[in-house]
Amino acid sequence: MAFSAYVFPGFMFIVALSFLFEWFDRKLIARFHGRVGPPWYQSFADFIKLLGKEDITPLNTSPWLAAALPLTAFASVATAATNIPVAGSQLPGFQGDFIVVMFLLSLPSLLYFLAGWICSGVYSTLGGNRSLLQYFSYEVLFTLAVSGAAIAGGSWTIIDIVTQQSVTGINAIPQMPGLVLAILGLIGKLKRAPFDIPKAKSEVVAGPLTEYSGKKLAIWNLSIQVQTVTGIFLLVNCFFGGLFPANRAIQLGLFLLLAVGLQAALSLISAIYARLRIDQLIHLTWRVLIPLTLVHISYLVLA
Amino acid sequence: MSKVIVPIGPQHPLIKEPLSIKLFLEGEEVVDSMLRLGYVHRGIERLAQERSFVQNIHLVERVCGICSHVHTTTYCQAVEALLGLEVPARSLYVRMLLCELERVHSHLLWLGVLAKNMGFETIFMYAWQDREISLNIMEKISGGRVSHAVNIVGGVRIDIPEEFVDDIIGGLAELEAKANELLNFVEHDKSFHMRTKGIAYLSHENIKEYCVAGPVARASGLDIDMRRDEPYAAYDQLDFSVFVLTDGDVWARTLVRLLEVLESVRLCRQILKEMPGGPVSASAARRVPPGEAVSRCEGPRGEVLYYIKSDGGQNPARIKIRTPSLTNLITLPLQLKGLNMADVSVAISGVDLCIACADR
Repeated sequence: MAFSAYVFPGFMFIVALSFLFEWFDRKLIARFHGRVGPPWYQSFADFIKLLGKEDITPLNTSPWLAAALPLTAFASVATAATNIPVAGSQLPGFQGDFIVVMFLLSLPSLLYFLAGWICSGVYSTLGGNRSLLQYFSYEVLFTLAVSGAAIAGGSWTIIDIVTQQSVTGINAIPQMPGLVLAILGLIGKLKRAPFDIPKAKSEVVAGPLTEYSGKKLAIWNLSIQVQTVTGIFLLVNCFFGGLFPANRAIQLGLFLLLAVGLQAALSLISAIYARLRIDQLIHLTWRVLIPLTLVHISYLVLA
Repeated sequence: MSKVIVPIGPQHPLIKEPLSIKLFLEGEEVVDSMLRLGYVHRGIERLAQERSFVQNIHLVERVCGICSHVHTTTYCQAVEALLGLEVPARSLYVRMLLCELERVHSHLLWLGVLAKNMGFETIFMYAWQDREISLNIMEKISGGRVSHAVNIVGGVRIDIPEEFVDDIIGGLAELEAKANELLNFVEHDKSFHMRTKGIAYLSHENIKEYCVAGPVARASGLDIDMRRDEPYAAYDQLDFSVFVLTDGDVWARTLVRLLEVLESVRLCRQILKEMPGGPVSASAARRVPPGEAVSRCEGPRGEVLYYIKSDGGQNPARIKIRTPSLTNLITLPLQLKGLNMADVSVAISGVDLCIACADR
């Protein structure tokens, strides 16, 4: 129990993977750019370096709140991470853990907004406002698109959704539109390019995190990395569950391969589009993507 | 709704040079803006009066970090006019070759900056990799990648040996292929259109009112190009076209610049083919007779003007430098009005900032 919570497939495993996934992302994008890219330990080295840097809290900002926000964000994504089955093994799940995981994954976005709100800096505030606007567009999209898998599986428990697919076949094929929409929602959730509007460097410097530095920034970065891996694992479980042969090692290998594939898709999308404007994003999600998702969900419910 | 003031600069990730723009926002809309210049004023015009005509070549090369060659060309032309000096034809061709390569390098650098500021890192990297080709050619010719120190009063310092020509032609072919790819991207990429079309519009009247020059003016339908309208060096013997669009937005500015890159590559080939033989410099007298001279060139950003007054002494009595960056920059408050905050970065990049030129 303690082993599966803290080591595998829990906390340590996910944190280690999140560093590797971030490196993979940076390396792949660098290759798309025609650059060399960082060595494999770069994201870990960056984390360690940030931990040693001076930690500045701006005036008129509560130091307790400034520290509590990244820690809460990290706690929520880490809790979500430990509740996600990795290749079928997890902490003993509970009824309805799908909803809990979805909630825990969306919590950091709200905290991210608050991080901008507690600083009086104009870039932080603008970035915070933008992140809240963005929250209302991608969150609906992501939740609806991923719910398709739960509807098909007839359960709100992730492990049931996974095992159900070994009977019915993987969801990715009949729910292809759902998978694509969920990936787009995940990009918005993670604030990755081309939906990196709240932290657009040339407009609002670093958005809500402009005034953050040192250890707190390190924790913020780590929680966003863990959120990435957790989101990807959730998608693998919901759309590629049941692809699990008997051998445990092959099972884990296949699971990670699918996760790496999804990360590569995220990196590719980041590399080939220009950043959208916030109004363009809202038009795109509410006028095109969310109606599409609703059609998709209605089809799943009625069929 | 209350106004929010967002400072951009003098230090901001958007602009690498010190320029300050205060944006007054209502929601995400820019209702007003305030421009402040002068952070890198170095007093070059005054400094030039303290130095001899020959020393000033090195000084004016440092007016701009990107279009350094066009400044020395314009300066040397003015001094040569004062001296009444006939410059060898071959040296004019060497000057033109570097001018055109410099235009390629400046425009590709600008495209990279624009792409970076709109959050399109891939194009930023591609444009700058392609720019390396032009830098390599220039390094081969002059030994310097950005500052060439090629011009002297009476011609140029270096010659282009026969064995370099094949290398340069090879580099140009590579450059042309890459620039065509970028042109294809600018013409067809949807997400690029979403961010640039209709942004930072300047009408034909605005352009005339503000005396805007160069690609920004040509993108708004003003047909000006010093190379054709008032040929200097040996441009009257070359065959080239000037591209004029009427859209007046950032997209049109991008397209004009990329078409100019391709035209410059063609011009380089033409220059290498038609380059006459003979010496590359004529000996110039040390003492410049009293008089005034004006020299105008088409730099990458538009018309560069030098006015030089000599009183017969060792140093010039007065030098006036007019760069296109300043007139283009002044239009920024007009362009920014009514824009979405997110488009400010695109609009500011669109005019091709060069604060060093503007401040001098």
